[in-house]
Amino acid sequence: MNAIVLSAIWGVVMMFCGAFVQNKSIIRTTAITGMVLLLIVHLLDFNGVHFFTIDTKNMLQFNSFSYLFTAIAIGSTLLYFLLSAKDMENVGIELAEYFALIFFITCGIALVSSFNSLLILFLGIEIISIPLYILTGSDKRNLKSNEASLKYFLMGSFSTGIMLMGMTLIYGMSGTFYVDRIAEALSFQLPAYALVGLVLLIVSLSFKVSAAPFHFWTPDVYDGAPSVFTSYMATIVKAASFIAFYRLLRIGFADTHYQWQLIIAIITALTLLIGNITAVFQLSVKRMMSYSSIAQAGFMMLAIVSMNGFGKEGLIFYAAAYSLATIGIFAVLIKMKDYTFEGFNGLAKKEPFIAAVTAIFTLSLAGIPATAGFMAKFYMLMSLVYQGGYTWLIIIAILGAVVSVYYYLRLIQAMYFKEGNAEMTPVSTGFKVTLGVLAALIILLGIKPQLLLNYLHF
Amino acid sequence: MSVTEILFYSLSAMAIGSALLVILSKNPVHSVLWLIVTFVAISGHYILLNAQFLGIVNMIVYAGAIMVLFLFVIMLMNLSTHKEAKKNKWLQMAGVLSGGLLLLVIVASLKGAEQATLVAQTNEGSIGLLENLGKTLFTDYVIPFEIASVLFLSAMVGAVVLGKKTETTKS
Repeated sequence: MNAIVLSAIWGVVMMFCGAFVQNKSIIRTTAITGMVLLLIVHLLDFNGVHFFTIDTKNMLQFNSFSYLFTAIAIGSTLLYFLLSAKDMENVGIELAEYFALIFFITCGIALVSSFNSLLILFLGIEIISIPLYILTGSDKRNLKSNEASLKYFLMGSFSTGIMLMGMTLIYGMSGTFYVDRIAEALSFQLPAYALVGLVLLIVSLSFKVSAAPFHFWTPDVYDGAPSVFTSYMATIVKAASFIAFYRLLRIGFADTHYQWQLIIAIITALTLLIGNITAVFQLSVKRMMSYSSIAQAGFMMLAIVSMNGFGKEGLIFYAAAYSLATIGIFAVLIKMKDYTFEGFNGLAKKEPFIAAVTAIFTLSLAGIPATAGFMAKFYMLMSLVYQGGYTWLIIIAILGAVVSVYYYLRLIQAMYFKEGNAEMTPVSTGFKVTLGVLAALIILLGIKPQLLLNYLHF
Repeated sequence: MSVTEILFYSLSAMAIGSALLVILSKNPVHSVLWLIVTFVAISGHYILLNAQFLGIVNMIVYAGAIMVLFLFVIMLMNLSTHKEAKKNKWLQMAGVLSGGLLLLVIVASLKGAEQATLVAQTNEGSIGLLENLGKTLFTDYVIPFEIASVLFLSAMVGAVVLGKKTETTKS
């Protein structure tokens, strides 16, 4: 609750900053201070210090899972601010408003990771989506950005409509909005009507997490949006949608698992195949990253297929590992002059440190041992093996991971083994230090995943 | 047949008929006008369920404000019937197919649905009355109510961000 209230308040503070403060570095500092404060307050909440005792009528349910995920999301956003806040200035003049929107999104993330009512789920998803439509189109002079924003808005609102339709049908069948009571009401077998509602919900949430065949918006939107915001959209927000997806099915429909498992399994297989195969053919690193984010979404979907304890741990861990690595790569990408693979040629000679940390991020995304990405993929596959019965899906997932190594290593190849003159805008020491911290975190989590996962068992 | 039933069936026929006309009429302005009829019919349903407030709000907000916006947009864009973009035939077929499938599934599940135990209380019941609505909104549903304000605030900030004139920077 602390995080929800404070992030909304700080969003308003940022709005006032935009009205009264002209100095950009003050605005930036206010935003970063806000995020630090949010993290502290949230961790206090995690440890039992609640500033607000509000009777939520059981509409919000906080447990270690939701607390831990919100903490990861806030922590990642803080790192993202530290790395990329300066680059937001280049997008447009409404710097403070961008920060305000991101604070509102954080509020939405805290909501979707702790909802227990379909009403809150809807509000949370919308609080996340609407600011994103705007951030996508924030580069007003750029036609591509405008197109991406409009496309995202139209398709996003359509999928919200589908979600509402699904909720209506489920409400009609169970007579309640509370997810846990839905589980009680529909515990043995989902009647056909509720099943239709559930499928509609799955469709719209698959859209939000960009799972195939609902992924068509992703490359265009991620490519068209200003790179700074793509970084945020592709990582923290996507992970939050996954948490919502998982939470809904875990609390509400775990007993009727057998009825919808196959649908999710097919969506997962398609996502893994389409994401990985299309990413191979991309020439631009930014576009490659957007397809790779679809492929990574496929891996996260495995947790929803298997629906067991490993999957739960794995999803949290995957969210952290994936967010950290992708934020890092995007932070470097934003600084590059040329977004194609050729643009990275010879970076290792010019900026050895940045090339080295980028290599670590890439290896983590590819799932090479000793990085967080390996442990994340390991947990996901383990949960599925433990569940049993989906051998074909495991094979597709492993093949997908193998293919992904190819396109991730192309980036390393360009940086280390190709001659070229990679051009980069000069970076500050603080930027390098933050990148170093990110890389260190990734390796630390890769070696000792328990550091993070222990908090799940508070 | 009681008066309520007659009203219910005629309102339903009106809603479905005008909804069909919305998608069938070629002229976009006609579509919007039929949409207004649909909304009026649905408002009638709300009033039949003794939810007067919802009925009136539906009328004011949807049939009033939003429809006016729609009409303005259509008139500003000057959509004429001739300029309709040619659609891909395969795309059309795929659309018909998937829409038909959805219809089939929904109808099939409706057939299988058990008779609901809670029957809609037409012309009686006080759930939809303004007083009860206000009480529930500010006691049981106060959290979503407050959270919705964050949603609107962010939408408002967004509208300002997108709509504000970019000051031409020196240089």
